[in-house]
Amino acid sequence: MTGVVVTGRGVVSSIGEGADAFFEALLAKRSGIEDGAGACTGFDPETAMTGKEARRADRFTQLAVNAADQAVAEAAFDGIEPERLGVIVGTGVGGLMTLEAECKAWLEGGDRAVSPLFVPMMMPNAAAGTIAMRIGAHGPGFSVASACATGAHAIGEAVRLIDRGEADVVVAGGSEAALTGLCMAAFRKMGALSREGISRPFDARRDGFVMGEGAGVLVLEREDHARARGATIYGRIAGYGASNDAFHITQPDENGRGATQAMRATLADAGAQPADVGYVNAHGTSTPFNDKIETAAIRGVFNGANTPPPVSSTKSAIGHLLGAAGAVEAIVCIEAVRRGVLPPTLNYEDPDPDCDLDYVPEGPREAPGLELALSNSFGFGGQNACLAVSAA
Amino acid sequence: MSQQIPTEQETLEAIREELAAIKVPDAASAEPSSTWSDLDVDSLDLVEIVKALEDRYDVQIADGRLKAIATVGDAQELVQELVREKAGAPA
Repeated sequence: MTGVVVTGRGVVSSIGEGADAFFEALLAKRSGIEDGAGACTGFDPETAMTGKEARRADRFTQLAVNAADQAVAEAAFDGIEPERLGVIVGTGVGGLMTLEAECKAWLEGGDRAVSPLFVPMMMPNAAAGTIAMRIGAHGPGFSVASACATGAHAIGEAVRLIDRGEADVVVAGGSEAALTGLCMAAFRKMGALSREGISRPFDARRDGFVMGEGAGVLVLEREDHARARGATIYGRIAGYGASNDAFHITQPDENGRGATQAMRATLADAGAQPADVGYVNAHGTSTPFNDKIETAAIRGVFNGANTPPPVSSTKSAIGHLLGAAGAVEAIVCIEAVRRGVLPPTLNYEDPDPDCDLDYVPEGPREAPGLELALSNSFGFGGQNACLAVSAA
Repeated sequence: MSQQIPTEQETLEAIREELAAIKVPDAASAEPSSTWSDLDVDSLDLVEIVKALEDRYDVQIADGRLKAIATVGDAQELVQELVREKAGAPA
């Protein structure tokens, strides 16, 4: 088991800002998906940033800064040594809105039309760098990129950083703002997006994912450091496991090898047995392949005498947040364990014989005594990460 | 028709407008004596302001001249000088 606890939470999503409001919206079965996308329509970048700061930041950085501000305010870690404070915040694709706008400007107006802010706004580490400047974090800082597993890798690597003794506190998570014409066209062309514009994970009629945007950021802290300062502890990242399919650049391994390996590594890291797990927040993208293979992988990990635990996909409510998904879903698990209640899978009506787990379709479900939850994240590139979340 | 040389007040207003366009909080109170650091304008902001002034007055400000622009007044003088050169008027 790791020695890393969660002392701050931040979420920006299409169904709410703030970890509590977000989780309560999940329990209320609210959907943030409209016209085939989960946009954060109510998000105002200037609640966290000045007009000038917001103007100089791509939307993925604006979302990340807002979530980080929430988490840092909650953690209230005044007086920490700046060299012991790190930031690992990733993104799947970086400043795509900026990239699109600047490409257009360049094609129309030539070199002169390109903004000097293009590179610092577009670069994938812009969110991590901006957050570090805001909080004066002089410890390790970088972004990770593993497509849809980014947020989980960021949290997992932050846990390792703390456990290796290289930082006391790390602000970690993921952010994504890729609801652009180019990106939507590209995912559509691949056949990955739902033509119906409905996220229905594990349902027989599922036909692809729905893109969402948002950010999830945690303050992770060495347990004795958090306890010594009397911090409120929301949960523990009990384990982390990563793996690579080494199979196909976009399709999951048909045998679920990478997914299985990541879940098993996470359980081993947490010092837990499959029977200890009371909930799995699935990657559950609503693509035909992922949901079938993930189901089989979960069955494989939890086979034998054990009935697999309930599984739900909160992507049914907010869409697929790509690089932010793993971080937002880690927060879902923290809240599920903390409150003893499982969020549902929305839009699950028509069972698929290949997806035969308990997907919590009826609505939120009381889960008293829930002690350990897994959060799965599987990225294009075959890169997988799994987090185990427990009460502290 | 050749371009009119902008007055000092006109260039000051132009710079205030460009500062406001990039959301510099104290844009309206910028004075010729204001330094960029007084206004919290960094090197990236300055590149944007210079480009906007180039577009507004249809002049080119060589990169080598950027270092000499330490204040709002320096930028005003440079704009006036470049417009004057372009118009072929005596300095």
